[in-house]
Amino acid sequence: MSRRSDLLRYLGARLALAPLMLWLISSLVFLLLRVAPGDPIDALLGPKAPAAARAALRQQLGLDQPLLVQYGHFLGDLLHGNLGVSQASKEPVTTIIQGSLPASLELGLVALLIAAVLGLAVGFSGIARPEGKVDLAGRLFGIGTYALPPFWAAMVVQLVFAVWLGWLPVGGRLPATVLPPEGSGFYLLDSLRAGNDQQFLGALRHLVLPASTLGLLLSGIFTNALRLNLRRALSSDYVEAARSRGLSETRVVLRHALPNALLPVLTITGITVASLIGGALLIEVTYSWPGIAFRLQEAIAQRDYPLVQGIVVVVAALVVLVTVAVDLLVALLDPRVRF
Amino acid sequence: MPPATGQIVPAAPPRPLPAAALRQQARLLAGLLALASLTTACAPPHPAGTLIVASKARIDSLDPAQASRSGQMQVLSALGDPLYAIATDGTIEPRLASGPPLLSADGLRARIPLRKGVQFHDGTPFDAAAMVFSLKRFMAIGTLGYQFSDRVKAVRATGSHEIELELKAPFSPLSRLLSAIFLTPVSPTAYRTHTDKPLNDRFVGTGPYRLAFFNGQQQRLTPFQDYWGARPANGGIDLVTLSNSTALLGALRSGEVDVLLANGVEIDHQQALHRDAAAGRLREGSGPPLSIGFFSLLTDQPPLNNPLLRQALARSLDRATITQRVSLGMRPPLRQLIPPSLPGSDPEAWPTYDPAAARALYRQAGYCNGKVFGLPLTFRSDIPTDRLLALTWQAQVRRDLGDCLELQVSGMESTTAYDQLGKGALTLFFYDWIGDYPDPENFLTPLLGCEKVEANRCAKGNSALSGSFWSAPGLDAELLRSSRIDGPERERLLRAIQRRTATAVPYLPVWLMAEQAWSGRRISAPQFDGSGRLRLDQLRRLPGPPATLAASPGGPEARR
Repeated sequence: MSRRSDLLRYLGARLALAPLMLWLISSLVFLLLRVAPGDPIDALLGPKAPAAARAALRQQLGLDQPLLVQYGHFLGDLLHGNLGVSQASKEPVTTIIQGSLPASLELGLVALLIAAVLGLAVGFSGIARPEGKVDLAGRLFGIGTYALPPFWAAMVVQLVFAVWLGWLPVGGRLPATVLPPEGSGFYLLDSLRAGNDQQFLGALRHLVLPASTLGLLLSGIFTNALRLNLRRALSSDYVEAARSRGLSETRVVLRHALPNALLPVLTITGITVASLIGGALLIEVTYSWPGIAFRLQEAIAQRDYPLVQGIVVVVAALVVLVTVAVDLLVALLDPRVRF
Repeated sequence: MPPATGQIVPAAPPRPLPAAALRQQARLLAGLLALASLTTACAPPHPAGTLIVASKARIDSLDPAQASRSGQMQVLSALGDPLYAIATDGTIEPRLASGPPLLSADGLRARIPLRKGVQFHDGTPFDAAAMVFSLKRFMAIGTLGYQFSDRVKAVRATGSHEIELELKAPFSPLSRLLSAIFLTPVSPTAYRTHTDKPLNDRFVGTGPYRLAFFNGQQQRLTPFQDYWGARPANGGIDLVTLSNSTALLGALRSGEVDVLLANGVEIDHQQALHRDAAAGRLREGSGPPLSIGFFSLLTDQPPLNNPLLRQALARSLDRATITQRVSLGMRPPLRQLIPPSLPGSDPEAWPTYDPAAARALYRQAGYCNGKVFGLPLTFRSDIPTDRLLALTWQAQVRRDLGDCLELQVSGMESTTAYDQLGKGALTLFFYDWIGDYPDPENFLTPLLGCEKVEANRCAKGNSALSGSFWSAPGLDAELLRSSRIDGPERERLLRAIQRRTATAVPYLPVWLMAEQAWSGRRISAPQFDGSGRLRLDQLRRLPGPPATLAASPGGPEARR
């Protein structure tokens, strides 16, 4: 069978398994939420609402029905693409996700860009003199940034640059005096498209600290991955062969070693993107970033069953899609990959 | 040939890279830094006259029918008007009503005259039909609808500007109930298609501000030009949500926001702000203390079904030390269930701290003589102050009564704890309560009310939901009576109920809490109304020199 048909077969199998996986995940979330202690009625009405009011709200939310009936409604709605209505705000879950997912994606993508540029630059910088001072510093950077507790790093960065120095805002996505741009929810793109400088600069200023912090924390992964893979590539036979043909070291590194060293980095990037789709909770909470992770945390605290279920299903679906896409990309770029 | 799996490849000798590649990377990094510094110089201008107010409260909905949290009520209080309002001195004054309710002889009908010449934000007139529409809508879909429909049987218009409430039973705190902001009227025209469902992202009422923009994290309020009352002292308010205490504190200190509401600000940060205010770096304002913090004692199961132990516990709590240590005195000690600003207050209902008397009671119950009473104490783990309080009491007890009592402290997430509380799973639990409207009835009934009493045990009702399961013969009838009578007679009865409860100790009041807010030096001091809401319309920028960022011992000062 040709490689192309192998690839298509693989893609078909992964996509066919996706609904099964989503069903399993959503069912598990449905069950776990109901098994977990805590009552949505307490979260909505507080602990001292009269029993009659509690019963009425329970009935209104459909929580008085048997679990199987609730599950049946949930699955039926899900099959029709209906994620339900938030118990807390009575807003459609889809609308809430549409409002908060772009925030997480915008933060995640910019952070990833920073992480990749910074991490790869640091990882690459030590190649000139392995075990030299720069390489050692790069290694320390890689380990250090990876090991930093995100909430601590985020708070320190926030305190220094926002509170003490006052260079950048402490949190949020836009200045309080600027209204959000209309459009996709990606403020940088939307404001650029609208040609509104104030919105664009406001969004950019608010993005700098959370994205830099997250980027810094993620950059260590890229540094270590590139460092190790590049060193391995530079000691391989094909690189030796290239050197023996008299090619310059720059050409050897950039044309022969680097592309091969970047393939595992691509896989790591895919995994990082997948993990960022669900948001970076600690960064979002610290910087008051209204992303999907922040919303999920609130929904869990409020025992907002439909919202938690909806967010998990959507994020899981996106993660499946991204991982499949990355697998395919790696397979297309690396002819050695077999399925 | 590629190496076989597992084969170790010897490292190649290092070859130096040309400096050009490194220089290229350095240029890239420099470019990124330049971009970052460019953004710092581009802070948007602050529109003149408008103010930024920050809090932790995320607002999901501005429909009064959905309002149940303090953040929502705060915003609604600027966008809408209640029928009555409670002034800072506790008196009730008409707002959209033009006079006090006129009660029928049997106390079952109340006629309320309405103010004329009032307009909704959409330009439609406010009248009796609009008020009836709003109240019926609230009764039908209001999250707190029970607060109204438990007392009111029917609502009808009896004139173009008069409504009549048909009550289920005489209810003396009616004006106080009608001061609740969730009963604020909405425009029937604007809510025509939302009579049976909430309208979350809009609000069309009669208040001093109209809603110009809404999302969960940001709301813009602009002055309503046709407002019937006094115009706001500022050019508008931008309300923003910041999700954690450090960010809130930082935003005020860096001048990014003008006013900060204490809601969500951790106690140590509140203390820091309090010190800043005392040093003149900020301005501070407090509302009336309307929130109580207390322990609930599980009275229908061992060990606290023993009244001796409950009474001993009541004498083991050194409120003065605890409130000073935990809140630096910002939360005054409390020995009653009713906030002192409300009728029926009895500031010394619960016994004071008395370790000798406590020890005698523990001895009487069989403890102290080599036998230590181990008592599980649960606090809400997601509220840092609760943890501090629990640990401080534990330490105080160890110091003063270590041979008699050992508090076994553990935390539990709020929502889980509330669920467990009603199931009788928490022996001693600390939490707080604020009434939906400021009246003693809203403090005693939610804690002591009981639908089904078995001897001194509440099998079903508020007392069970509150975790104490305590009741007493005739108590429910007394509570009911207290909501039907008024004046000194009511106050005497409320005090008697409190004394009776204090003797049985199903609850242990600890401290009082008030809403607080801080503003920058160039902003007027925050003021609150009698319901504990920040008066956004009173905030204004004070005349003075242009904003500068001055260093100070407590951190950077407000820039404006």
